[in-house]
Amino acid sequence: MSDVIVIGAGPAGLAGAIACAEFGLKVTVLDEFFRPGGRLLGQLYEEPSGNWWNGIKEAERLQQKTKDLAIDVRCGVSVFNLEKDELLWNVHTNAGSMKASYVLVATGSAEYPIPVPGWTLPGVMSIGAAQVMTNVHRVQVGKKGIIIGANILAFAILTELQLAGIQVDRIVLPEKSPISQEAGEPEEVLKSLLSAAHLAPSLLLRFGSVFMKNGLLRKIALNFYPKGGMKISGTPLQLRKAAMEIVGKKQVEGVRVVDITPNGATVPGSDKIYEADFVCIAGGLYPLTEITAVAGCPFQFVPELGGHIPVHSEWMETPLQGLFVAGNITGIEGGKIAMAQGTVAGLAIVKRSGKEAGSIDRLLQKSVDYVRDVRQHAPIQFNPGVDEGRQTMKELWVSKYGKEGKVIS
Amino acid sequence: MNDKDLLVCRCEEISDEEIREAIRQGARTITGIKRRTRAGMGLCQGRTCQRLVARILAEETGMKPEDIDPGTDRPPVKPVSFGVLGGVAND
Amino acid sequence: MTRLLDHPILGKLPERKAISFQFDGKNYEAYENETIAAALLANGVRTLRLHEESGKPRGIYCNIGHCMECRVTVNGQPNVRACLTIVQQGMVVESGKQLPNAIKRMEEG
Repeated sequence: MSDVIVIGAGPAGLAGAIACAEFGLKVTVLDEFFRPGGRLLGQLYEEPSGNWWNGIKEAERLQQKTKDLAIDVRCGVSVFNLEKDELLWNVHTNAGSMKASYVLVATGSAEYPIPVPGWTLPGVMSIGAAQVMTNVHRVQVGKKGIIIGANILAFAILTELQLAGIQVDRIVLPEKSPISQEAGEPEEVLKSLLSAAHLAPSLLLRFGSVFMKNGLLRKIALNFYPKGGMKISGTPLQLRKAAMEIVGKKQVEGVRVVDITPNGATVPGSDKIYEADFVCIAGGLYPLTEITAVAGCPFQFVPELGGHIPVHSEWMETPLQGLFVAGNITGIEGGKIAMAQGTVAGLAIVKRSGKEAGSIDRLLQKSVDYVRDVRQHAPIQFNPGVDEGRQTMKELWVSKYGKEGKVIS
Repeated sequence: MNDKDLLVCRCEEISDEEIREAIRQGARTITGIKRRTRAGMGLCQGRTCQRLVARILAEETGMKPEDIDPGTDRPPVKPVSFGVLGGVAND
Repeated sequence: MTRLLDHPILGKLPERKAISFQFDGKNYEAYENETIAAALLANGVRTLRLHEESGKPRGIYCNIGHCMECRVTVNGQPNVRACLTIVQQGMVVESGKQLPNAIKRMEEG
């Protein structure tokens, strides 16, 4: 029997498993995908230093560590239920059930869809699907594509598609609706893009970030936004166009697009169909929490973190004894932060297990500080309010369960 | 079903309009909408549409997002054969 | 669609063994360690099933096992996710079909 079962072999799960195993705990890691790495696989971007962050290499590095530490990493295993008997957690999977004293749930996030009429046609996929197909499976997703939704994730993956030589014809917004919310409002989109301006340098060069922080000036800029869009490394970002329908008989043939005003209202009679053989829908990410929900973990709604989040401490401990969380399940952030959080969770498990009495408190505190440090230097920030969100969760924990380190039951 | 319809739940092919109708008929929770329309009852267990359904519910009723209970997850959260569920070796 | 054999940052794809598998009675070529979905897309196949009731075509959507849209029957086992399953030599894959006389199930509750 393992001491610890980690659900999810992404950056958080692997880092957590490694931290546990380094202190002699026996660890099993489970993942549905056929190789470890989670959403590290496929990530590829140039860092400000000029080095390339290659998620596949990062995943391989972590995988090698798990081998060195004799961690049992099982791929192709789906967890469908998690419950606790008097002492142990029972993890039920398609490959049988297993028990452990500690479980770390690191299931990451899933993509918000934005429904568009015709979005069930083959050739329509989430933006993350295109990333995995291109960078992990190395199969071209199509000859010419259109991205619906302009956000950080879409830009990052746009660059990856371009690197692989795949033509992305344009990025347009979804139609403004109660479902698409801010994603369909040019001003909101521009605002959020500018908060991650290093990802859209061409936009910045034209407007200047200081200038664009002013709401009125932003409105004026959108009024004069070029009809053809502004190019982001070759692909026009069309903030004044919205996708009304994805057309095609048996698969995607194109997208019907209309002009929109700065506040997202459609301009009648401006419809035009642009040809494409694939469409990516970029709606952003939300924490994939279902395993903690079936386990009975309480939740708190924290919009800055991506919605309903399992309640957890800075030690990544939930109110359910022996159940820990780390990575995007606790709030949408980048892979490096997920890794740092995984280490916190791993060390917290080590502390709870009593394996290491001496140095663990200091190490744990250091790892908590390190998460903040990584966050401060993160090249990609999905939500500008993430610090606030983390603070909300921390205060909630302290008010309900007391300070870190208090033994919970 | 009209091709122009906006499908929200892909698994069960439930449209935006059907979900709104269920709310007009009194559904006030994600589970209630699921029972009336089958939205979220397909094989993906609502992983794709549940958050969209929550947004529609918020819009139709004026409820705040934080007041909409997402807790409709039930095991098994991934499809498994009855053999596995019954504790029998996987076939 | 073609395979991306070379990539400016990720480099060249390693040499892989070619294998063959069946999809709806037709033979296709794949490479070792490819998923069913990737191998079929590389062969130009996007449609993996028809919706059980409406018969509308469906393909991959999330590509990482969340959405279940890519489910196919593999060697007789239904509801297998093509995006997560590695194709094997001689594997028999069948697309999901529209069910005859599909009846919208009764409303519950």
